[in-house]
Amino acid sequence: MHVNDMPAGPVYLDNAATTFPKPVSVLEKAMETYRRIGVSPGRGGYDLAAEAEEFVRETRRKAARFFGSSAPDRVIFTGNATDALNIAIQGMLHPGDHVVSTRLEHNSVLRPLYHLRQKRIIEYDLVPFDGKGFVDPADIIAAIRPDTKLVVVTHASNVLGTVQPIREIGRRCAEHGVPLLVDAAQSAGAVPIDVDGWQVAALAFTGHKSMLAPTGIGGIVLAGQTEDIEPSRFGGTGIDSASPVHTRDFPYRLEAGTLNLLGIIGLSGSLDYLGEAGIEAVHAREMELVTKLRDGLSLITGIDLYCAEDLSDHVALLTANVRGMDPHDVGAILDADFNIAVRTGVHCAPLVHESLDTSPGGSVRFSVGPFNTGSDIDLTLEAMKEIARHGGKG
Amino acid sequence: MDGLSEPEERTWDLQQRVRVIAGKEVVFDDEGFLWRPEDWTEEVGRMLASETGMEGLDDDQWRVIRFLREYYAYHGRAPMNRDLKAGLGMSLMDLEALFPGGIRKGARRIAGLPNPRSCT
Repeated sequence: MHVNDMPAGPVYLDNAATTFPKPVSVLEKAMETYRRIGVSPGRGGYDLAAEAEEFVRETRRKAARFFGSSAPDRVIFTGNATDALNIAIQGMLHPGDHVVSTRLEHNSVLRPLYHLRQKRIIEYDLVPFDGKGFVDPADIIAAIRPDTKLVVVTHASNVLGTVQPIREIGRRCAEHGVPLLVDAAQSAGAVPIDVDGWQVAALAFTGHKSMLAPTGIGGIVLAGQTEDIEPSRFGGTGIDSASPVHTRDFPYRLEAGTLNLLGIIGLSGSLDYLGEAGIEAVHAREMELVTKLRDGLSLITGIDLYCAEDLSDHVALLTANVRGMDPHDVGAILDADFNIAVRTGVHCAPLVHESLDTSPGGSVRFSVGPFNTGSDIDLTLEAMKEIARHGGKG
Repeated sequence: MDGLSEPEERTWDLQQRVRVIAGKEVVFDDEGFLWRPEDWTEEVGRMLASETGMEGLDDDQWRVIRFLREYYAYHGRAPMNRDLKAGLGMSLMDLEALFPGGIRKGARRIAGLPNPRSCT
């Protein structure tokens, strides 16, 4: 990656929350473009609005190609992955429906499902994951009932980093005629995704993690054949403005109000950036660093690592605990005493931690990004050695 | 198959628990943090300390607790990690060692500061 993009500062290992820093070239290009065309896309008859709309349309095309979709008009822009998942879950379900999901899910899936169940709109079952952090597609299929109308699965666990077998899950869901919604918050930009090839009905992504875009932009990639999705928000779309009825046309069916043009421009730039860098190359380098971190942590007495024995189907994060210490305290010590930023707690995925028996405190998550270096890992390992030596009150 | 019905009540339970300390009702959250920091008294602090196995609070521990109380009273929030380190003049590793419950469940809880619920 571009070393000159890196600022001096703390060792930042919270890239699974938000990648930081962003490529300077992406930010500068975004500002330059926004200064030039930052008007309401598609609203107004003047050329600048048309130019902004064309930029948005081109970004939909880029995103569709990136995610292996042949339907760019079904790339829906949202605020982030949580927003996308809420729109998809609420839009794809009807009263009386049953849903199958997993215990690996983030609250961005668990809470919408829970809300709908509390309102007595849906029922759902959650399938477990195994000791290595993977869901068995057979368990998902076994949980499908005659009234199951949706399967929701995270592509990569935000706690464990394990990449789930979405291709296999998609194939088997398609055999059963049940649409598959994939939460790609952690995988988009990290590992290749093929919406059409994997028979995914809808995929939710965010820009601010491995896609290296700014915060505030995400999206849904709907498969070309996905028709049964209703809007849950209504308003201006820039078309059919005289009608009281929100348009049925995609992508506007699921978009209401002025789009986050600056975010879309940032996403466009980050898609170009990733295209040039190659996500496989970026991922391979990140995994080298994560492997080095895993190998180092596993040699330190008093540290427990979770689901990290085999990193072959993994995104660039590890979760661990120091025996005898509150993970929040470990994070605070890393921050104040060693200038290392990590994420602690249950990472908005409480059922993962219940399954790991790490509730309620959770764990310490180290997540690597494209601008981390081997030196960052060395410093982290030295810090963790010292903390573990001190752990359990010395 | 449904993993939520029972575990969710444990994880997402924000219920209050009322205890009587020195004749006064004090409300705690489910992790034993004070619900209202203004309910804190030295008596409450001593009781919370004793519940973590501490026989009493020494001068260093009282210095930490008073710093946390004063910082919270002045700023309306808990100190950031760097403020805590600078204000106390000690590493957070040493602070963690000073209380059997560590920083969050020890010092912060005994000082009566609110439970930091961010991303937990």
